[in-house]
Order: sequence, then C-alpha cells, then structure tokens
Amino acid sequence: MMITGVKVTLILLAATTVTSLVLGTVIAIMRISRIKILRVLGTLYVEIFRNIPGLFWILFFYFVFPDLLPWGLGVKLNSYLYYPIVAGILGLTVDNASYVSDILRSGRLAIPHGQREAAISTGLSRVQQYLHVLLPQMFRITLPPLGTRMVHNFKNTSLCMAIAAPELTWATQNIESLTFRGIEATTIATLFYIFLAGIMVSMIILLEKWWKIDVSSISHSKA
Amino acid sequence: MDLLEQFSNIKFYLLGSYPQGEIGGLLLNIILALLTICLSFWFGVLLGYSRLSCRLYIKLPCMAYIEIVRATPLIMIIFWVYFFLPYIAGTNITVFWSAVASLCIYAAAYQAEIVRAGIIAVPKGQLEAALSTGMSRYRAMRHVILPQAFRIMVPSFLSFFVSLFKDTSTVFIIGVIELTQAGIIISQREPNKMYAAYVCMGIGFWIVSFSISQLARRLEKRIGIFDLESYRPDACRDEFMLLPKKKIAGEETPPDISCRSADSR
Repeated sequence: MMITGVKVTLILLAATTVTSLVLGTVIAIMRISRIKILRVLGTLYVEIFRNIPGLFWILFFYFVFPDLLPWGLGVKLNSYLYYPIVAGILGLTVDNASYVSDILRSGRLAIPHGQREAAISTGLSRVQQYLHVLLPQMFRITLPPLGTRMVHNFKNTSLCMAIAAPELTWATQNIESLTFRGIEATTIATLFYIFLAGIMVSMIILLEKWWKIDVSSISHSKA
Repeated sequence: MDLLEQFSNIKFYLLGSYPQGEIGGLLLNIILALLTICLSFWFGVLLGYSRLSCRLYIKLPCMAYIEIVRATPLIMIIFWVYFFLPYIAGTNITVFWSAVASLCIYAAAYQAEIVRAGIIAVPKGQLEAALSTGMSRYRAMRHVILPQAFRIMVPSFLSFFVSLFKDTSTVFIIGVIELTQAGIIISQREPNKMYAAYVCMGIGFWIVSFSISQLARRLEKRIGIFDLESYRPDACRDEFMLLPKKKIAGEETPPDISCRSADSR
C-alpha cells in the first residue's frame, strides 16, 4: 500500500511538473504578448487561479468538473477508475501554472532588450525568437524560484488525499484506519517526503550550477 | 439561478453556525490566518535569529527544524499534531487549537526564513556602528538591526500571509468547519447543484486573498525599501553569517566583534 502510494505520488509529481511548466509557459507568453485580449486573458487566469487555494481546485476538478462537461463525458469520467489521480493532476496543474507563469514573466522582464533586438536582427521569426533566444534564458534566469515552486508543488500533491487519490498521505491514513499503526506509517511517509524534497532541492542546486545565468552578466546596453 | 439560491446559505459560508454553535466559514479562515501569523511571528523571529547564531548547538537544531518543516507537507504536520500529539502527550486539545498549532509549526519555519533573509539584508556596517556606540548586542539588534530588517521583510511577510490564508483551507481535513468544509457540506445537500456551492466557495476565497494582495501591493509601494544605497544583500551576506572568518595568508583579520560581544554580555 505504501509503495503504491509512493508510486502515485511520483506520478502526480512528474505529471504536474511537466504540465504546469507547459501551461505556465503558455500563459506567461500570453501575458507578455502584444495582443491585448491574450494579455487580459492571461492576467485574468493568474489573478483567478493564484488567489484561490490549490485544494479548492483539486476538489473542483473532482466533484464539479465532470458535471460541467457536455455529451455525457462526465459520466464516463466519473466511472473511470483513476479519475481521482487525473483530477488531482488537473487541479495541481492549474494551480501551479499560475505561479509558474508569474515567475517566468518576471524572468522575461529581466532579459535585456538587446537580446530581443539581436534576435530580430538575425532574422528570426517570432516563434523562433521565443524558442531559441527568449525561453531558454527565461528558464535559466528563473531557475531558483521555479525550483522552490516545484518543491512546493511536490508537497501539494499530498492534498490529493482529499479526493481519495491513492497517494502516500492517503495510504498512511488507510493503514492507520486498517491496522492502527498510524504513527509508524506517518513517520515513514514524512521521512519519504523529506527525503524526496531533499533530492529535489539538491537536483535544483546542481541544475543551478550548470545552467544558471546571472542577469547582470548579460549586457545591459540599450541599442 | 442556482447561484442566486445560494444566497440563502450566505450566513453559513461566512460565519458557519456561529450564534448556535462554533464560529466557522470564511471568518474562521481569517481568524486562523491572523492568529497563526501573530503567534508564529515570534517563533519565526526567534528561529530566524538563532539560525544566524555563531554557536553550532543553537544553529543546527534551528536549521534542522526549518528544513524538516519546510520539506514536510502541511497535511502531514496537521496529522501529526491532530492524531499523534494527544497520543504522545496524553492530553486532548480541540480541533481548532490543533489546527492553530499545526499552522503555527508550519508558518514559523517559513517566517524564520523571511526573518533570516531580512537580517542578512541589513548592511553589516549598521551592526558595527551600533556596537561601537556601546550598545549591547541585544540592544543593537532590538533598536538598530531589527527595525530595518522588518522594513525589508514587509513584502515577503505579506505574500506569505496570503499564502497562509490559502493554506488554512487545508485544515478542513480534520473537520474544522471553515469555508472549504462549509462549501462541501452545502454542496452535498444538493448533489445536482454542486457547482453553485463550489463557485461561492471560490468567490469567498478569491475576494479575501485578492484584497489582501492588493493591499500588500499598495503597502509595498508606500513602505518600500528604506534606502536603496545601503540595500546590498550580496555585499554583506558573507560577513553577516557570524561565523569565524577564514584567515587570508599575510593579512591580519579584523577582530570578530559579532561573536565576542555576545560572549561578554
């Protein structure tokens, strides 16, 4: 039971990290785009999702979201065995993506203007500018806050127990109610969380050593 | 239409079953957040300050506490306090106080980090100047360093308060009837109109935390960082760690005032 819990926690972690990075990037680009509607939509997204707790979104996607879907999709979803996990992934993703987009946006603002101009002058298209010049720098500049956010996200996966996704915290509660060996199970789970958070932090520190760039090292000359 | 019907429940959302029973709903979230931040602030200052201490037997436990709590999910802390604290300590505490206690444990670690960052950000010259005017180390901290450090900390404190307010929703798991739990109770009364209850719940959270964050934004502009010239966190970070300095060959190290004065007091 514990091992299933660990597995599900890891699945949640991996899935939400990837999806929230993607969604966060999209929204960050929306928020800094020239088109006003996209900007407004992006800002609206961040303001709405950042000011409501992640737990609410997890509950929302589990209980309410299937009802709102048309064509009986919701019934199918509700009968899907792994829907708690899916709902957890969705809830954590929308919550985390708003933070990620905020961090990435501040990273974009930290990139000097000259980089963009240089990209334009070498003849890159807008998509190419983002793919080859701006996005890599955005990620590298914002690596420390992004890392913190991801560790936070990892801890938030424990909230999925509220919708009975069989992850680690839920497993400990289950063990507690089945065998009354709550203290042992919770100790092990806590140690696991600390251990994994430690691994994540050290991975992020390693990444920072390899990848991090100092903003001041990019030239600030204005063309 | 379903949303309008929810207006009949507005008292339950905001106050819980207050006049008849315990306070609940959104008010409880606010109370929990305020109480937690008031209580844990002192622990946070203590922990953050001790983490900068030059004595290892003070520094290491504080570091361990901060790192362990920061690496543990809030839900785990809540379980520890709620289920196992009575078991170990042999006393019973009410649900509300165990929620406050676990939130305090959680918040103290984060506040300690904020306090530490704030103290580090105060230039070292300030402490030296204070000590050289003959202040004791405690008074230097109390009257010179901490007032400046708090000013630097204000923005991070406010954003932490917003996130703490949102984290108070987690305590629903032990059955505190705050806004999340109230919303769930109402939504289960009419399972076919669930979304209305959830929308109300979301609006409740959103209004409060949005207004706090807007307030924070205004306050930040007003207080700001007191003096940009002296605000050089990187320049003074190494010196302020209060650890014995590395000796550079052929160069006399200046006497380490920060540690010595603490001993003499």
